[in-house]
Amino acid sequence: MFLLILSAILGFQTVAQQPDLVQRLEQVATLIRENRLTEAEKELAPIARAAPGAPATTNLLGTIRAKQGRLNEAEALFLQAVRKDDKFTGARLNLAYLYLLKREHQKAIFQLREVLRLEPDNAEAADKLAELLFADGHFDECISVIEKQRQSRALSPELLVMLGDAYFAKGAATEAEQLYLLALEGRLDNAGALLGLAQISRAKGELREASLYITRVATLTADSKSPEFLYKFALIAISVGMIDPAKDALERTLKMRPNDPSFLLALGIAWLRRGDLFESEKIFRRVIELQPNNARGQLHLGYVLLNQKKYGEARVWLEKSAQSNNSIPEVFYYLGLVAQEQNDDARAIALFEKTVQKLPNYVHARVALGSSYMKLKDYTRAQQELETAVKIDPDEPKAHYNLALLYARLKDTARAQEEMRIIEKLKAKGVTPDSGVVVLPPTSPP
Amino acid sequence: MQYQRKLSLLVLLALLAINSLAQKPSRSTARGQVMFEEVSPQASKLNWTHNNARSPDRQLPETVGAGCAFLDYDNDGWLDIYLVNSGPSDFFTPATPLKNALFHNNHDGTFSDVTDKAGVAGGRFGMGVAVADYDGDGYVDLYITNYGPNLLYHNNGDGTFTDVTEKAGVTAPGWSTCATWFDFDNDGKLDLFVSSFVFYDKSQNPLCTDPTLQRRYYCVPRLFKPQSSRLFRNRGDGTFQDVSRESGIADHPGKSFGAVATDVNNDGLMDLFVANDTMPNFLFVNKGGGRFEEVGLAAGVAYGETGKPRSGMGVDSTDYDGDGWQDLFVANIDHEFFSLYHNDKDLIFSDQPGEIAPTTHLLSGWGLKFFDYDNDGDPDLFLVNGHPDDMIASRVPRVSYKEPLLLFENTGRTFKDVSASSGAVFGKIFSGRGLAVGDFDNDGDLDVLISNNGEAPVLLRNEGGNRNNWVGLQLVATKSNPAAVGAIITWQAGGVTRRRLKTGGGSYLSSHDPREVLGAGSATKIDWIEIRWPSGKVDKLTNVPLNTYVKILEGSGLVTK
Repeated sequence: MFLLILSAILGFQTVAQQPDLVQRLEQVATLIRENRLTEAEKELAPIARAAPGAPATTNLLGTIRAKQGRLNEAEALFLQAVRKDDKFTGARLNLAYLYLLKREHQKAIFQLREVLRLEPDNAEAADKLAELLFADGHFDECISVIEKQRQSRALSPELLVMLGDAYFAKGAATEAEQLYLLALEGRLDNAGALLGLAQISRAKGELREASLYITRVATLTADSKSPEFLYKFALIAISVGMIDPAKDALERTLKMRPNDPSFLLALGIAWLRRGDLFESEKIFRRVIELQPNNARGQLHLGYVLLNQKKYGEARVWLEKSAQSNNSIPEVFYYLGLVAQEQNDDARAIALFEKTVQKLPNYVHARVALGSSYMKLKDYTRAQQELETAVKIDPDEPKAHYNLALLYARLKDTARAQEEMRIIEKLKAKGVTPDSGVVVLPPTSPP
Repeated sequence: MQYQRKLSLLVLLALLAINSLAQKPSRSTARGQVMFEEVSPQASKLNWTHNNARSPDRQLPETVGAGCAFLDYDNDGWLDIYLVNSGPSDFFTPATPLKNALFHNNHDGTFSDVTDKAGVAGGRFGMGVAVADYDGDGYVDLYITNYGPNLLYHNNGDGTFTDVTEKAGVTAPGWSTCATWFDFDNDGKLDLFVSSFVFYDKSQNPLCTDPTLQRRYYCVPRLFKPQSSRLFRNRGDGTFQDVSRESGIADHPGKSFGAVATDVNNDGLMDLFVANDTMPNFLFVNKGGGRFEEVGLAAGVAYGETGKPRSGMGVDSTDYDGDGWQDLFVANIDHEFFSLYHNDKDLIFSDQPGEIAPTTHLLSGWGLKFFDYDNDGDPDLFLVNGHPDDMIASRVPRVSYKEPLLLFENTGRTFKDVSASSGAVFGKIFSGRGLAVGDFDNDGDLDVLISNNGEAPVLLRNEGGNRNNWVGLQLVATKSNPAAVGAIITWQAGGVTRRRLKTGGGSYLSSHDPREVLGAGSATKIDWIEIRWPSGKVDKLTNVPLNTYVKILEGSGLVTK
């Protein structure tokens, strides 16, 4: 909130030219800063009467209202100030912060863009805008904003990490890696940069390196009070299979924000990765309790129940998730599995085909489709789907098993045995079939 | 006036009779009232405890046994009990001699230990028991499987038995588990299938330890080499021919536990479904001419749905949905789910466990049997559970060594867990292994005997199953095999026609009442019963009395009540 006051004064400076008036307005600003809002308003009243509708006074009054929690009035006042003076960057910044308070990110982004248009070197606006753009997934613009700042000033390690994260999100791992390393030059214990490097290692398949980074970050963030950072850490740790540190981090985040559905969802996923369907079920149920329409929560609960073979209830949650735009395409695959188990083969096939349309290389859906055709004794189509599955992922044991089953039914013993031998070879390589009916798809969270 | 009063009394009595008929438990009300009540050892005098020989070395055979049987060894019409115990082996020397036990049914709910008199103490490291009259002399014999050479006890008909193993040629050294009597070649003589588990001796016990506990635990069978099961053809002269090789059985080494003889393709030849631990299950289809073809993979019963072999233990077979085709059941270890394989015909099965799967998610199943506990006419399912690793609770969350029993009621197409409302015993936990089913009190509903590893057996009396009507059949073969395994019984009651194949074996290491109790539900008569014997002969019976046991002689029909 102090930024609102600061911006109020800045705004005032651009308009008020009379020294005594400036002094009086500064006095108002001080009172606001000290939270003496009644006195501030009293002091401001005669100034406003003298110059009704002046952007500077309107802006200060908006600041008072904002501090009083009267956000809609504050918004109206800031907008009034901006309408009077559309170059009044202070009022625009105030608006941006107000919108952040109101969780209206798009409006905040608009105002920050305007500030930067008017004052391209406004570091505060640039940093905040970059942060918001990143959070909203506008990685290109985020990169552009930070890169422009980079031309005129040395970036903070935090901003370097954010830029690295944005590049990484765009798939530019090399640029990201350079930026993380640069951030580490400034501060060797930069947990964000180390976490970024962990992500890069994971992406390169260097899981050992990734684990080392994660371990280092875990030490550095032992006392972290930032739930967001711990959450991010946990997601990356889960993705490299370091479930215990992830669970620790998430449990800490939940001590800080016990009812945060995202944190709970991630914790549920951590338990799921640990193979504990029962603990994860409890947590996903809690997510849905908190957010009955949380599509991811519904999906994961459905998924867990599916793996417990509780098909009836799994279907309920999966269907709810499928109705949401926020769900993932794999939900149709899961629903297909439920239909398959409930002997509704036509529905199963339709759902698997829908999945394949959305995700043509999703091997599990191909296998399931092949399996459904096999159940219907349509061996030609079964073979097509299963052979496609093997082409997509030659190391998927379930595809080979279903092919073995198919060849055995076609009395082609040699090929059936060959497929079973492939499974044995995969097993020797450490690739074993998942014990559950399904595996968590790559596109599902985190 | 007096006459009038008498008349009104008669009317009243008639009304009462009608009311009492109306109040006769219907199928649904009777179902909820059937309870299994634990008969205490004090009441039954079954004072016996299994010694599992558990040692710090955790030798695998310690945790696998043992089985139990209901049998009528003296033909007095009452089921006796046989219990298998551990005994001396290469890794175990009992401090005091251990014995298997034969308990005679005293017809009053108590049993007397007649082991020594009968001469069936075993004296080896026992696993299971299979009961049948292999020589057709009218008295059931005992085949005992062991870790070590097996035993065939011939029933002398005078309350004693003679060890005829060597002479009969059914020693089958190694480690045998389940044995199944059935007639694979339909020659009217009972043949013998013997499941073999892994190659094992004490020197081959790898070090399986839990670093946190710093103690050994039982190794997973995956670490041991498989061995082939055996098939013995009954020559009819008291001896058997080992036909494992020529039948094709020996071509498939396994780690076999439960086995059931059934007819999955309705060709009149008995097939074998065999559960394997950490290996694919076998479905041996009887091709005739003494040959079996293993089709487990193609049939979809060999592996779990991801192509991973599971830890199959107990098995059974029945036509649970009445579509005329034999379905299969196999119990696995925790987290693997138990499988109910629905027979989709053409030797293809699909796993449709329904409610059984989530209920058994964390359990490990051994003894199991399909039987009609409430006499409503359809087969229900009883499961006996227990984890093989006594230290499992310290290693796997939510899994315990001792586990509860489960009872599932057949609802037509699927099964419903009714354990919670079927007796206090379902709230207890056991290290369950064997399960035998039989009507030990001859009251027309099927009771249960459970053998526990390292514990006393549990005898459960069925209370209320006989509220529905029933008829018990004792099938006496003249041309078919003496156990009438393979006979198809069809009956009609209350407008409903039902069909049952008399299977061989099933469950785990155990043997059951050879009689067949047919449930009639609330129907007040059984319209007809048809017995299609394995020999091809057909007996059709009408006017069969209800709620009693009857003897059916092959080719002659009903002979005695």
